Amino acid sequence: MKTTTLLVACLGLGALVASTHDASAEGRRYNDLRKDKAVRHRRLLVKNRFELAPLFESTMNADFRHIIGGGVKIEYHLSDMLSFGVVGVASTAINTKLVDRISPTLPTADTGASPEPTQAQFLDRLNTMPFHGAAYVSLTPWYGKLAAFSQAYVAFDFYFQVGVAFAQLKSNCDASVCTDDTQGKGKPVVGMDGTTSFVPDNNPKNDTPLNSGGRAGLYLGGGIHVFLNDFLALDLTVRDYAFSDNPSGADFNADGFVGKNSNPDIGTDDRFINHLFFGMGLSIMFPTTVVRTP
Amino acid sequence: MAQPKKGGKPAPTKPAPKGGGGGTAPAPKGGDSGEIELGDDNTPAKPAGGGTGGGSGSAAGGGDAGEIEIDPDKPATNDLATDLNAADAAATQVKAGEVKKTPLSWKDILVVVRKPFLKVRRTELTPMFGTTMNDNMVKHVTLGGELAYYLTDVLAVGVEGQYYAHTFGEPFDLVARQARRLPTVNEYKWSAALDFHYVPVYGKFAIFDKKLITWEVFFTAGIGAGQSEVIPRDTKFPGFTNLLIMPNIGASMRFFITKWFTVNLGMRDYVFYDHFEPPNRSVTMNASAADAKSNADGALINNLMFQLSVSFWLPTSFEYTTFR
Repeated sequence: MKTTTLLVACLGLGALVASTHDASAEGRRYNDLRKDKAVRHRRLLVKNRFELAPLFESTMNADFRHIIGGGVKIEYHLSDMLSFGVVGVASTAINTKLVDRISPTLPTADTGASPEPTQAQFLDRLNTMPFHGAAYVSLTPWYGKLAAFSQAYVAFDFYFQVGVAFAQLKSNCDASVCTDDTQGKGKPVVGMDGTTSFVPDNNPKNDTPLNSGGRAGLYLGGGIHVFLNDFLALDLTVRDYAFSDNPSGADFNADGFVGKNSNPDIGTDDRFINHLFFGMGLSIMFPTTVVRTP
Repeated sequence: MAQPKKGGKPAPTKPAPKGGGGGTAPAPKGGDSGEIELGDDNTPAKPAGGGTGGGSGSAAGGGDAGEIEIDPDKPATNDLATDLNAADAAATQVKAGEVKKTPLSWKDILVVVRKPFLKVRRTELTPMFGTTMNDNMVKHVTLGGELAYYLTDVLAVGVEGQYYAHTFGEPFDLVARQARRLPTVNEYKWSAALDFHYVPVYGKFAIFDKKLITWEVFFTAGIGAGQSEVIPRDTKFPGFTNLLIMPNIGASMRFFITKWFTVNLGMRDYVFYDHFEPPNRSVTMNASAADAKSNADGALINNLMFQLSVSFWLPTSFEYTTFR
């Protein structure tokens, strides 16, 4: 009898404890991962998906003019690691601080004797890049997930790109400023005997800059996707558009004139330059639903 | 690896001898699915991952899968890769097993992979290399080091020192040749700072689906001092030096290679107010260093550096304070 009473008392106490605990559990907060399986299948966030990314891009460490613009990236991911795509950016240009410091110290009128350029000769020969882009293949060797402040758990991947770069360059040197377009040959002078000769002026400050037009070269890129959800990702990229250029439009090789020609007798002032850009975009993945590994 | 949620439902009160059929669920073959067991000091340590199956209630593998084990006496391995491989093996074990529902309170237990690298109360010795990111005229490279102590796993205090060497960039010559202007530049000599580090982000990634690397992001803020020296435009005039108050902020990534070795890369912005050679300098004006310094132009400078470093951690190993 005594044993039975003790057993009933224990059961009653147990029920009371259990009911109290359940009541307190109702107000309890749960972790977001509570309903997840112990081992989750991997979400294939890029495989067989189109990626459309409106983006913003700006030069890093431009010497004379910052190139800032907006564009779009279109990419198709053949597999989890391999993809191909194109990127195109329309841009405007802003003078760097270096240009802003030099320009006011230059004379406004060309005295002829001084080797220093006028403000117009200096500024008008700097080129801009109204449009640039690349076609590339991309390798995504790294993917993973991270925890931020122990609260946000997001997926990410690193990618590397290689391809062909293209750019449209433009400079606006008026004929009244850049008066010498002979690339060192000099303007024709008709002598007393009627023969024509050429007298080079060896003064590069009024030469036409010859830094406009289309360029093609090498494209290298590297970046990271930070997935905000199954179909949106923050896309951060460093891109290098490397091609032949002479951003200042001035005499680089100190041969006395600005030259750009396939003729080996005329020294070119172009050189292969890395145009480094930092890009930030928002990638939208299509289809928007994500497939998981089987 | 399983860890009971704080405030979760208590485990069954019935004492469960190790290896026995505890809990209210019928024990699957070879194990005690659904048990929470406190390790006995006299019990030999179990293989890593032995308790990992607990989250799914699987008992594949024949041992005590499904158990949560508190075993502080378990000897720690000193190899990060071994730990990661053990975690992978444990995951495979869970995948292979049959998902079984039990009436036990497993829903309150989260499967949480233990952080593979602990920093709390450890000292980090970091030789580092840096290079200028945002100065086209004069580029600096630095050699230096930092000694940091982690007060917690996410917060550290440290001291750093750097020695600078400089080279001139292409625009330095171009401006002189093309615009006939001599740039005014300073070189940096050294810097030192007291730094604080905070680690808000950590994660892991797979390389080519083969190798698993854990990493983290940490922010740095510090205060320090440094010295710059004017490079005279005309070498017949002397330069002068400036003592700089140099706060810094930055963000870096750390990749864990072993339990005592990491590779770090990041960006650091050293902010200071520097003084430059005055524009007008002749034998009659600002000829001496003192005169030039008193009439120097000042400017706020952001010296953005990319830094690459490796870290050696002392003590070379660590022990977990939480159970698997």
